[in-house]
Amino acid sequence: MTALAYYPGCSLHSTATEMDESFKVTCEALGLELREIPGWECCGNTAAHSMNRLLAAALPANELVKVKDDMQLDAVAVPCAACFSRFTTAVHEVAEDERLAADVTEVVGRPYTGGVTVWNMVDVYHDGVGVEALKAKVAKPFGGLKVACYYGCLLTRPPKVTLAEDPEYPTHMDAVVEALGCAAVEWGYKTDCCGASLALCEQDVVVELTRKILENARDCGAEAVAAACPLCQVNLDTRQDDIAKTDPSWRRLPVLYVSQIVGRALGIDGARLGLKKHMVDVAAVMA
Amino acid sequence: MTTALAAPDVVLATTIRRGAGINAYKCYQCKKCTAGCPVAGFAGLHPAQIVRAVQLGDLATIMADRFIWLCTGCQTCSTRCPQEIDVAGIMDELRMLAFEHDLVPKDAPFAGILKYNADSFKRWGRLYELELLARDKIMRPGSMTDDLMLGVKMVMKGKIGFVPSRGGDRAQMKRMVEAAERIEKQRRAGSAS
Repeated sequence: MTALAYYPGCSLHSTATEMDESFKVTCEALGLELREIPGWECCGNTAAHSMNRLLAAALPANELVKVKDDMQLDAVAVPCAACFSRFTTAVHEVAEDERLAADVTEVVGRPYTGGVTVWNMVDVYHDGVGVEALKAKVAKPFGGLKVACYYGCLLTRPPKVTLAEDPEYPTHMDAVVEALGCAAVEWGYKTDCCGASLALCEQDVVVELTRKILENARDCGAEAVAAACPLCQVNLDTRQDDIAKTDPSWRRLPVLYVSQIVGRALGIDGARLGLKKHMVDVAAVMA
Repeated sequence: MTTALAAPDVVLATTIRRGAGINAYKCYQCKKCTAGCPVAGFAGLHPAQIVRAVQLGDLATIMADRFIWLCTGCQTCSTRCPQEIDVAGIMDELRMLAFEHDLVPKDAPFAGILKYNADSFKRWGRLYELELLARDKIMRPGSMTDDLMLGVKMVMKGKIGFVPSRGGDRAQMKRMVEAAERIEKQRRAGSAS
């Protein structure tokens, strides 16, 4: 079994427990041993980089020091796209800026020397497991379910930080769901923003942004949307009641985590994938 | 005309460059940032205008609008800029200036969200979402009924925890926050003189 450090992050312990559950159970089934970072702390999220650049870099660096020095591992899975962005940004900024690197070491209290690969959820399935190996483990293939793979912002942008191959039209998640027997649709809103945490105070903006994304997915033939970010999933899933208020003809589109789709194809019981946590019912597409 | 910050010789673009190393003067107004911005249509200003105002040192115009408080940090502008300007990073720096100089406008609830968010993870080591939501509702009583049904449904489905997530290293968080705030304060004070 390959061992990988695991950083769940705050959302996976609250609004996205189904992402945490389904990610862990699928990794186990795929032969990846996840070791949770002891005493992990918040990555700082948008608040830290809007208030204190040094703290924003130091919080993820502190976790990476633990992975390398305490856990003796060289890769960490960070399934939340927002945490993944903070981790990869810290790695990039510290490598580029010597003064910041020295300050980060002072804040963390131990030297941060890099050397840890940071994987988002799609990376774990696509690169850690591999598309062919994943295909070989499929026990219950989807019979061509049409899925719109929604990457959102932070899995791919900015590419100098995330190292994404094609930030404007990524395809790795598409390759993962196709390996499971789904048909990934071609569509135009793969990397458009859902409004992220504006959902807490600028609801009108988020309803409009999510409506455009879901409408395009539907128009392009999707029967479900796959997401790999707790903010994206929550916004796309929870705003459909608001959309329906102004558009009575709105047909709701289920929004799943990639890990739930992987779990279903591996034959894992739905009760272990958190399928009842959704606002838009997913039973029909996950049967 | 330039708007002075702490001292008459400190102009906005220089302050921003000292913060994150971003040179706003490289912008030639192609407006690719604006074309790709998901929230440009919801504010009075758009990203290219913000960058132009930075070049002109016109902090007042920027702070009178709510654009910087609608920016989601989606990184589309920074990714597409042909001059490789980190436009989203400029928005971060402007938010820091707004907090530092008490320039947050009244119609920017997101500023409060950011503050309660930071207070929460600093206190608990991890973000305690219920506390964040409660503080926001108390500070904006007019929003009390917004998303009420959604909130109830999310609690019913176990998506909002009643208690903070335990297990985080709170002592290390406290130490790091103190050190980062001390060093950043010194650095910002030093670079402004």
